[in-house]
Amino acid sequence: MLASFTNSLPSISLAAVDQKAVAPFEIAPYLTNSVVVSLAVLVFLLVVARVVSKNLQTVPTGAQNLAEMAIEKLYAFVEGIVGPKIAPKAFPLLATIFFFFLFANWFGLLPGVGTIGTGHTVDGSFHVTKPLLRPTAADLNAGLGIAFVFMIVWLWISVKEMGIKGFFAHMFAPKGTSTNPFMNSFLIAVFFGVGLLEVVSIAIRPVSLSLRIYGNVFAGENLLHAMGHLGYELGLHHVLSFIMNCLVPVPFYFLEILVGFLQAVVFTLLCAVYIQLSTTHDESH
Amino acid sequence: MNLFTTTFLAAADPSQAEAGGPAASFGVSVSGIIAQVILFLIVYLILKKFAFGPIQGMLEQRSQTIADAQANAEKIRAELASTEKRIDQMLVDANTESQKMINEAKESADKVGEQRKQQAIVEAKSIVDKAAVAAEADRNEAMAKLKAEFGRLVVATTSKVTGKELTGADQERISKETASELTQ
Repeated sequence: MLASFTNSLPSISLAAVDQKAVAPFEIAPYLTNSVVVSLAVLVFLLVVARVVSKNLQTVPTGAQNLAEMAIEKLYAFVEGIVGPKIAPKAFPLLATIFFFFLFANWFGLLPGVGTIGTGHTVDGSFHVTKPLLRPTAADLNAGLGIAFVFMIVWLWISVKEMGIKGFFAHMFAPKGTSTNPFMNSFLIAVFFGVGLLEVVSIAIRPVSLSLRIYGNVFAGENLLHAMGHLGYELGLHHVLSFIMNCLVPVPFYFLEILVGFLQAVVFTLLCAVYIQLSTTHDESH
Repeated sequence: MNLFTTTFLAAADPSQAEAGGPAASFGVSVSGIIAQVILFLIVYLILKKFAFGPIQGMLEQRSQTIADAQANAEKIRAELASTEKRIDQMLVDANTESQKMINEAKESADKVGEQRKQQAIVEAKSIVDKAAVAAEADRNEAMAKLKAEFGRLVVATTSKVTGKELTGADQERISKETASELTQ
């Protein structure tokens, strides 16, 4: 029963769908359904930013108050991790990452995202296989692209803060010395090996960052999709199925609101921690 | 990209991996990454220009305004304290000065009163002395009149008792004797 139920659940494609396949968006190969969502988030953030900053008052009210509170809290959060010196340089990028992923994740919860598009009918039920819209973070290209941008900025901030020599010394130089020459040589060899591991760890960061958020958001999409079809999949009467399909996803929507926020926080937090790790001055340097 | 390939192998569908590689099964493509990066950079520029910049500027401006207001309040408080201290000192000085003036006025009044008192005493004594002199004069005058009258009565009585006309010398002698008797 469980096996047949699992097999019959509608599946979501691992990849974002090229809009060429969804009429009438025959524009460009890079215009995938997740890019459309990114574009919508971009427009939304542009409108919000303009509304909030159009007429800034010394005594804030309404949207300005909310925006100021969010930015102030986020800045304090970033400053608490990277420190007051690096925070002004790192904050705009980290805050953009946070707000972009936050609203992209929440945008994915809107009705119609992932459920409107082309597809086919299976056992009398229509299954969308090429949705018109797909959450940005459920496209691995988004996570990877943003992680690459972050890594470039991370490299720039780290080298600017530590210097090229300091940057490499931070990874490879031994932390501390010994009076014994043999021990010193041993320490140099050990820390060089640790440095190589550090390089691998740094190289893997864009992948770990992007896969983490992709996995969570994609899993959330699948979860909501499955809950939204549960009534039909259990073979209940169509009225009962309809009611069930409307009610069962509700608690999961709240969960996904939380997950969307947490994933944006985690991505931002990890980026901030990576900056902090590479810009901390050791006593021995 | 080899790094991604290694990672994706674990998650990707084997059939898809065979067809186009694991990255392809996840839809990873250079054009997709570039499109997302471009959109993200536009969002970054928009937020930096229209949100973070102005709002952080406003927050800094407000912090500066609050700091200035606090500094001004501190300055005003210090000035107020200084003014209060100055007013207190002025009040103390005024009190001291008024007390001094009151004391001086009191002393002056006492002095004038004493002078008036002494003057009144002197005047009263003078009046009393004058009255005593006048009374003495009146008494002497009355006594003289009394003596003269008594002498005349004694002379008249003597003349009647003796039945003879007394001479002027006798009359004068009798009057003197009578007067001397009255004095004694």
